[in-house]
Amino acid sequence: MPVRARRIRLLRALRAARPPLIAALCAVTVLNALIPAATAIATAFLVSRISGHAPSGLLAAATVPLLLFAVVMVAGHAAEAVTVPLEFMAKARIDGAHRTDLARLAAGGPTVDRLESPRVQQLIRIARADPRNWTERTPGDGAVGQLHWLIGLVGAAASCGVLAGYAWWLVPALLVPAALNGFLGNRMHGRFVEAWRSGIPQGVHGAAWEDALASTGEGKDIRLFGLEEWTVAQIRRHLRGLLEPVWRLGAKAWRADLRRFLLIAVPLAGVYAAVAGGTAHGDATVAVETAVLATGWSLFQAFGLGEDARNMSAALETLDAYDEVREALRRDEPDEARASAEPTTGRATVVRFDDVCFTYPGTKRRVIDHLDLEIRPNELLAVVGLNGAGKSTLIKLLSGLYEPTAGRVTADGVDIRQLGAERWRQRISVVFQDFVRYHLTVAQNVALGCGDVPLDYDALEAAARDAGLGDVLDRLPDGWDTPLSRTRTGGVDLSGGQWQQVVLARALYAVRTGARLLVLDEPTAHLDVRTEFEVFDRLAARRGETSVVLISHRLSTVRQADRIVLLENGRIAESGTHDELVAAGGAYAAMFAIQAERFQRGYDDVSGADADSEEATTHG
Amino acid sequence: MADITGPSIPTTRYPMWRWAALWRELFGLAWQRMPGMVVFYFAANIVVLGGVAGTALALRWTIDATIHGDAGSAALAAVLAALAYAVNVVLADLVATPIPLIDQPAILGLLPRVLSDLAAIETLDHLERSDVLDRVTIVRRSPWMIMAGFWSSVGAVFALAQLGVTLLLLGTVSPWLLLLLAVAAVPLWCDRRGSRAVTEAELATAETFRLQQHLFELSTTPAAGKEIRVAGSAAEIVRLQAQAWQQTMNGRARASAVGAAWKFGGWLVFTAGFAAGLAVVVDGTANGAGTVGDLVMAVTVAATLRNTLHGAVTRTASVAQVSRFVEPLFWMRDHLAADRAHRTGTLVAPPVLTEGITFHDVGHTYAGTDRRALDGISVHLPAGSVVAVVGEYGSGKTTLVKVLAKFYRPDSGRVTVDGVDLADLETRAWRARISAAFQDFGRFATTFGQNVGLGDLPHLDDRERVAAAVREADADRVLRRLPDGHDTLLGRDVGGLELSEGQWQKTALARASMRPEPLLFILDEPTASLDAPSEQEIFQRHMARARELGARTGAVSVIVSHRFSTVTGADLILVLDKGRLVEAGPHDELIALGGRYADLYGIQADAYAATS
Repeated sequence: MPVRARRIRLLRALRAARPPLIAALCAVTVLNALIPAATAIATAFLVSRISGHAPSGLLAAATVPLLLFAVVMVAGHAAEAVTVPLEFMAKARIDGAHRTDLARLAAGGPTVDRLESPRVQQLIRIARADPRNWTERTPGDGAVGQLHWLIGLVGAAASCGVLAGYAWWLVPALLVPAALNGFLGNRMHGRFVEAWRSGIPQGVHGAAWEDALASTGEGKDIRLFGLEEWTVAQIRRHLRGLLEPVWRLGAKAWRADLRRFLLIAVPLAGVYAAVAGGTAHGDATVAVETAVLATGWSLFQAFGLGEDARNMSAALETLDAYDEVREALRRDEPDEARASAEPTTGRATVVRFDDVCFTYPGTKRRVIDHLDLEIRPNELLAVVGLNGAGKSTLIKLLSGLYEPTAGRVTADGVDIRQLGAERWRQRISVVFQDFVRYHLTVAQNVALGCGDVPLDYDALEAAARDAGLGDVLDRLPDGWDTPLSRTRTGGVDLSGGQWQQVVLARALYAVRTGARLLVLDEPTAHLDVRTEFEVFDRLAARRGETSVVLISHRLSTVRQADRIVLLENGRIAESGTHDELVAAGGAYAAMFAIQAERFQRGYDDVSGADADSEEATTHG
Repeated sequence: MADITGPSIPTTRYPMWRWAALWRELFGLAWQRMPGMVVFYFAANIVVLGGVAGTALALRWTIDATIHGDAGSAALAAVLAALAYAVNVVLADLVATPIPLIDQPAILGLLPRVLSDLAAIETLDHLERSDVLDRVTIVRRSPWMIMAGFWSSVGAVFALAQLGVTLLLLGTVSPWLLLLLAVAAVPLWCDRRGSRAVTEAELATAETFRLQQHLFELSTTPAAGKEIRVAGSAAEIVRLQAQAWQQTMNGRARASAVGAAWKFGGWLVFTAGFAAGLAVVVDGTANGAGTVGDLVMAVTVAATLRNTLHGAVTRTASVAQVSRFVEPLFWMRDHLAADRAHRTGTLVAPPVLTEGITFHDVGHTYAGTDRRALDGISVHLPAGSVVAVVGEYGSGKTTLVKVLAKFYRPDSGRVTVDGVDLADLETRAWRARISAAFQDFGRFATTFGQNVGLGDLPHLDDRERVAAAVREADADRVLRRLPDGHDTLLGRDVGGLELSEGQWQKTALARASMRPEPLLFILDEPTASLDAPSEQEIFQRHMARARELGARTGAVSVIVSHRFSTVTGADLILVLDKGRLVEAGPHDELIALGGRYADLYGIQADAYAATS
């Protein structure tokens, strides 16, 4: 990007701080930038009053310049003190807006496939503006740095004005080396950043082990298997890998420091000698000389502080990554444009998979392979299949998170793509196997099952009843308002089973607020027997107008379904009621036999079954 | 909805000697690794001290020579002033940031040391409690901050020395100016006050900040993205994220404003004092006690004085800031020391179990709660037996096995292993004889082979042993699917492959199958996300293994489960309810008893009964 475009990009980011704050920040920054020149002038004023003045009444004559001097000092301190909270607030607003924009961007969009791309995930990590090391900067840092840098030029100009008071040529004689010095300093810093970043993959590995040490799951295994020293040794090894490139560069950096010394010393010595000698010859007053001596080095300070440039360049990386994420997630056509079909009927729907195929991007295997399936209104349909048979992909296609590579999914005859993601999803609710555990209150955790309608307390209570959540709620210190994370004050961590009940309540809440198709992916894996039984009893009885698609390994549950389909190699291999499938004596019957026999005879005498292969989810 | 409020971490004040000891430790780390750089650093600081005085004196000389019309001397003095300034700038920059040459090598010593301490805490409280977790999070980041704080404190000493030199220079102009030394204490003190307000606010808002990070994470990860999209909750999540951010930043901005007010107040006092001092100098000049050069020097020094004092303040402030990293570190070291003090165990576990493991009236309450997670548990687990623990959620099943692994110390009663109190067994030696797959098993960001091999560290890279464990856990299909086999990197965070829940679970089971001769084998809900044939296969294998281990070493296998089909074959079934042991015995006995177990079992068995 050309330099000017980059500066404009940063200043655009500044807008999020809003005009009054920006104005205040500009004002104090200008004040700050003018202090060196103002101090020089105040000093010169004082000297001019004193030199040549008769001793009597000198103090009186010096009162005004002394006061002026004090005012400049106070102003400098005030500006510096006020700058801190103003900059903090500006950065907080800019970064807050940036992060919220990024979150909205990533959470929006109808399908999830683009978000799953490793490239997008990598860009989000760069763009997230949550610095994890000294090379990272937020857009707020960059925007404020840009402002600071621009206003710094004003200060430098003021200093140049003071220098020109002696002779014009002082300006280029000091300005050029000062700018060059600043430039070289930044370049050197850039090299350090590069060296540091070359070690970051090592740092990421080290951080993963640090996380492991401090988390409960990994922390338990580390202690149980005696991996404490080993883990720390990994961290040390990765840390060394992270730091060594910087050390190698640092060992060579002394040459740059020597060059820097010469760049400052030679021009400054020349100018000072000329001014001092010249003034002694009477070319200028001592006051002017004082001002020049005091200003000369401040010019080097104005350019020498590379922090602004560092903030700017690092923040731009964050902003560039954000722009790239936005580009990657951009839709060719807005969702609404496709949504041309008729509105929802409010009643149960016939959903049909029409010769649907799906292949993950970058892979060859058809996870779903010419699949035809009808989900009838008010039906309790169970989908069974071994791990990796394509059940999860089926759900993603059904909920519009993936679009079929061939064929279509229709609701009452209308392609769900035409219906529009938002409208279609008001009619469905899905309990995913890896459901979300919000570190929010129970009420929020349930109500987020249907985030786009206002909170409905009656539906909340009813959903809790249906999901059998009452016992859990009774045990929580603040009932509905208890945060579900021990990292929150007054919060608790629920067990896997308790979570699953919360999530069932979440789905049933969505049903209460309008969903007509409920999809449950292994909803009871963590539930104990009694709860599972109760939940299914309730579900079967209270689904009312709602169709239910249940995916489960537990065939004792599955057999209650109106219809069972067996998914194998991406298509429906068997379909029918439990009794029909058992009578047919196919794969389902074999699976059921395994589980049932264990109850009848214990499990030591059951023959092994041939399990299908697992599916590695490489698509994340 | 509940409001989001921050936790208050009580700040403890630690005695000076602890700081001194820590500082000595940090200096030692740097000296040990980089003695040359340390010498250079101190030498450079001393040169800077001289440079400050040199610049000021050269400047006075310049002005006085100018006034006397001595062009040669004036030019020479001006050149000296320029040189002294240039030396100062370059060296001051070098010493201001002692990274990377001194700081980072020392980090390499400090970080592993701190993390070793963290890892050495044997119990788990520090990873499970919110208030403690706050500290642990800080401790993890602390080595970098503490090391920076250490060099800041060295820098602060030199900055104060520089302040002294500068004021002495002023003293040569007028002894009255020496009084400024006392006045300079005001901004120092005020600044510290202000930065304390900032520190407190950051701690108080740590919780909302974390919440904000959590919600942001959910918005941007694909796993959560699925549900968020289908539920249409994106807008609400983003709104809550923005709200948590704003709440955090409002609190911090307020504190920042308070800090700024203190800071300005301090400088105001100082400036008044300095202006009065200057008036004295002007007066002196009038009385012929000083020259214009004196005055210019005083004024110029005043400008540098601001920087000098500022440097001293920021450095002492960052030393003060560092207390919020040092205090959690001290806390952790104390916690570790307390943890160590509890370790009375010196005995190693017996080679084989002959009697078994016995609970004697064991109770446990989690810190910060008043509910008994375990309450009066007394039971004997015979050597060589397979024990199933069942019960509804929250009944204490997992707590029970964690007590066995010494992750929690029971606060009443005791557990004995072949008659020896668990507390008397050396924890690591005891754990070396346990193997386990917990419900929230570890997912390590390393290769698949290591993920399994870590179950028996000495055989980490032993392909045959790993392959055998993989077979044992029915994980060979997981392995076959991996592009680079054993060497496939796992974990999305490090750019590796992310496994499905079921695949991770099998990997964890394989890890639990690595140790050849455990005395205790724990399976905590091991098959929750597996399909029926896999579950079947795993149970068969682990039952066989449990029997085989039981016969060989007398090992006790404890299986926590809520799937009743899996526990019927156990020798002993423990039924827990609200932390109490309500029934215990083999399947047939408990069925005959007709109590809770029979009740729960009936529900599941009925579901299968009608057909086949």
